[in-house]
Amino acid sequence: MDLALQLLATGLVVGSLYALCAIGWGLIYGTTLHFHVAHGAVFALAAYYAYVGQKLLHLPLVAAVLLAIVGAAVSGLLIDLLLYQQLERRGAFRTSLFIASLGLLILLENVLAIVFTPDPMRMDIGALNTAVIIGPVFLTYLHILTVALAVGGYVALVLFLKRSRWGQAIRAVSSAPEMARTVGIDLNRVHLLTYAVGSALAAPAGILVAMDVGAEPFRGTRFVLLASVGVIMGGIGSIPGAMLGGIFLGLLENLGIWKLPSEWQAAISFGVFLVFIVLRPRGFFGRTIHSAEI
Amino acid sequence: MLKRFALLVSLFVLAITPAAAQQAPIKIGAILPLTGSGASYGVWMKGGTEMAAEEINAAGGIGGRKLEVVYEDHAADASKAVNAMRRLVEVEKIPFTLTSYSAPTLAIQPIGAQNKVVMMNGGGQSDNLANKDYLYNNIPVVSNEVGVLCDWLTKEKKFKAAVMIVANDEAGRNSAKSFRERFTAGGGKVLAEEQIALDGNDFRAQLAKLKAQGGDLLFISSYGRNVAIVADQARELGITIPMAATSWVQIPEVLKAKGAQGLLTTRLPFSPDSPFARKFKERYKTDAGFFAVQYYSGTRIFAAAAEAAMKKGGGKLDGEGVKNAIESIKAFDTISGKLVFQPNHAAVMDIEVGVLKDGKVEVEKIIKAGQ
Amino acid sequence: MLAYIAHYLVMVGIYTILATSLNLLVGYSGIFSLAHAAIYGIGAYASALAALKLGLGFWGGLLVAAVVGALAAALVAIPSLRVAGDYYIVASFGLQVVILTVFINWTSLTNGHAGLPGIPRPSVFGLMVDDPFRYVVLSLALAGLTYAICRRLTGSAFGRTLRAVREDEIAAQATGKNVVVVKITITTISSALGALAGSLYAHYITYINPTSFTLDESIFITSLVILGGTERLAGPFVGALILLAVPEALKFLAIPDTVAAPMRQILYGALLILFMFVRPEGILGRARVRPAA
Repeated sequence: MDLALQLLATGLVVGSLYALCAIGWGLIYGTTLHFHVAHGAVFALAAYYAYVGQKLLHLPLVAAVLLAIVGAAVSGLLIDLLLYQQLERRGAFRTSLFIASLGLLILLENVLAIVFTPDPMRMDIGALNTAVIIGPVFLTYLHILTVALAVGGYVALVLFLKRSRWGQAIRAVSSAPEMARTVGIDLNRVHLLTYAVGSALAAPAGILVAMDVGAEPFRGTRFVLLASVGVIMGGIGSIPGAMLGGIFLGLLENLGIWKLPSEWQAAISFGVFLVFIVLRPRGFFGRTIHSAEI
Repeated sequence: MLKRFALLVSLFVLAITPAAAQQAPIKIGAILPLTGSGASYGVWMKGGTEMAAEEINAAGGIGGRKLEVVYEDHAADASKAVNAMRRLVEVEKIPFTLTSYSAPTLAIQPIGAQNKVVMMNGGGQSDNLANKDYLYNNIPVVSNEVGVLCDWLTKEKKFKAAVMIVANDEAGRNSAKSFRERFTAGGGKVLAEEQIALDGNDFRAQLAKLKAQGGDLLFISSYGRNVAIVADQARELGITIPMAATSWVQIPEVLKAKGAQGLLTTRLPFSPDSPFARKFKERYKTDAGFFAVQYYSGTRIFAAAAEAAMKKGGGKLDGEGVKNAIESIKAFDTISGKLVFQPNHAAVMDIEVGVLKDGKVEVEKIIKAGQ
Repeated sequence: MLAYIAHYLVMVGIYTILATSLNLLVGYSGIFSLAHAAIYGIGAYASALAALKLGLGFWGGLLVAAVVGALAAALVAIPSLRVAGDYYIVASFGLQVVILTVFINWTSLTNGHAGLPGIPRPSVFGLMVDDPFRYVVLSLALAGLTYAICRRLTGSAFGRTLRAVREDEIAAQATGKNVVVVKITITTISSALGALAGSLYAHYITYINPTSFTLDESIFITSLVILGGTERLAGPFVGALILLAVPEALKFLAIPDTVAAPMRQILYGALLILFMFVRPEGILGRARVRPAA
């Protein structure tokens, strides 16, 4: 039983990281319909921004993290401005956008691998690494912070979408882009904003992983794939769905090995997803899955 | 006059031609973990090889020919090693290569045997590396070391119930298999084992499962920097039982890891105060380790065997000749003492057991070779 | 030097088979699969195990690989019957991960990361194909055969049905085409051919382990199809000819391997982006009519 509780806690922590990726990726996908795999590169960039901030610029940890979040938001925004919007202006198919995104992911990851080597770069996080013992469960302060940040990020995003004018514009574009255009909303500007917000949400996930086990160039790919799985399972266009989808995957991967051999961990999420998509191609919450043309 | 001069010149050219042909360097390969989780071993292996090659060349080369080493990186991936070996065999036409790690060496061995290229492994320790054609190991197989470790753990330290965390590759699995056999033979029990990826860096799920099994000892059947991560994360998860490992953990990352202190470990003989170690440090600005000596010796053994083979073959050098020379010489003088290849193509060595304290292993006992 | 060229041509042959068979899905059927490396791996393992454990020769291994590959096609086909577009991409990513994990963890069969060494070089009509030069002939001959099969297939009535399904599944169904049968047929043929390439690879390198069949490899095969052009059958061949020359060229620049490997990937990534800007239809492709922006 102690094991189940420990796995539950670890699953919640990992699920929080997936959830942060999933709500950002889901926001972008739901609003722009771009299959933005380069989100994985933004995740990795954020980790290295924080690493560079702390280790090379000698900033205090909090400043390095804030710098990295802003850096990630700007990076995401630039990807949309310089890549996707340019392609769209040329009338590119959605497939072309996806392929370009894949190309950018490969390119950026490997640039990071040359600059920083493929080895993990660890950050100093001081007391955050201290163990916290809650009954039979062992975590670190960093793990608790991870869960808190995921919940905080989610609440902030929902409030932003509901309360602010810009958030309402995003929602309008997400649910009916043509309608939004006719009432005078500039789609391109809303897209840029969406990328900035979505990328800023991926940043904490990347940074937290860098703090825990080190920044690595190729780690983002798995996260963005799991984010897309979480979003599809939760239902496209649903932020609560993406949040729950992400947490569900984290719990699944960890509770799954309670009885299964641990070496199958990497396959659990995707295996369940394959079964899921065959049995229930509509997701738990969201709008009906359209066979989106690519 | 001019005619005579021309004649003289042509005579001179004739005279030096065979000598010039002999001056072509002898090329050998070295397939090493230069990047990835085991890059620390690679620094030593390459450094040791370089130092040996430089010394051999400074002393006039092998039979008057210079020695040239072609370095290849396998990054712990056997398929990279195979591609490197194919290139060395088909393009560079080498008679001999240094090799490292268990899975990569097992993967290249059939290619070497088929093309008559001698392979000298100074790092990999899987028992499956023994008794292979054209493959020689100037290092003991892991069952020797694990046997010594298990005797010490069960008889003197009185451990009864072990759990294991195992790298899911040839070396990790093979050493775990030996541990299971020898620990059980010593009266202990292995309660559970969990596999981990060599290039992973989050092993908490596996460790949590092992923690739930209890036991009084955690055996880490892995190598490279991930041993340090395993040790740190085990302590973070509240695993307080002692940990044990083989000599694979003698790299700076592990020795300095906070979680690894108190580790019970075997060690193969290496003296950090030897002239070799001092020279290494001077040249590479970093401390030498056991594997630097291993690859220095491996290169030296090749030079000795090649010299003998060329003498016997009238100056001709090929892999078959080198193999025959190794078989007939058998015992080689190295800087760490006499190295004798056993009938199974592996070496035996003294094995030390001790406890890791403040970044250094305090040796408790030395078990002489072959005991 | 000659040995380099021979090796390059063998790999061109293998990747032409892979990319041509993938093009049947991506280009002709609109099934954007990123799991082709997994199928390639299944062929390689099936053929290697047939040689090592059953003692089958090269042709036997090739046959086993093709049959196992065709059976594995079900894995690719079933999700394609339920979802399309982005969802299928994610599903095929997932499939790739799951199959790779099986290669790594089914150690009693695959020997895990340690891989299967000592796969024999083939003997064809009593002739040992044991040097790279002879292997060039074998590899290019099989690539030519693949091309011929695919050409026959796409030029037939079945090829037209395929395109009808790609353009509009529901309309094709309405005109009496059996979409399920069409999709299962095409994935079966594509997978059998992809597995064939795996067999050829296993017997050439004589060693296989899971790292040769990762997601990166799937992406690389897809890049060959995209850069060569999905609309023409010869596109993948041109893609392989060009993209495989890149690493060989880099070898002559004496760049250390730690930098050369990522440099190659950077170049592939940059090419994918560049092509989407200047020539989304690929090198050999015919320009499609663009929708009004």
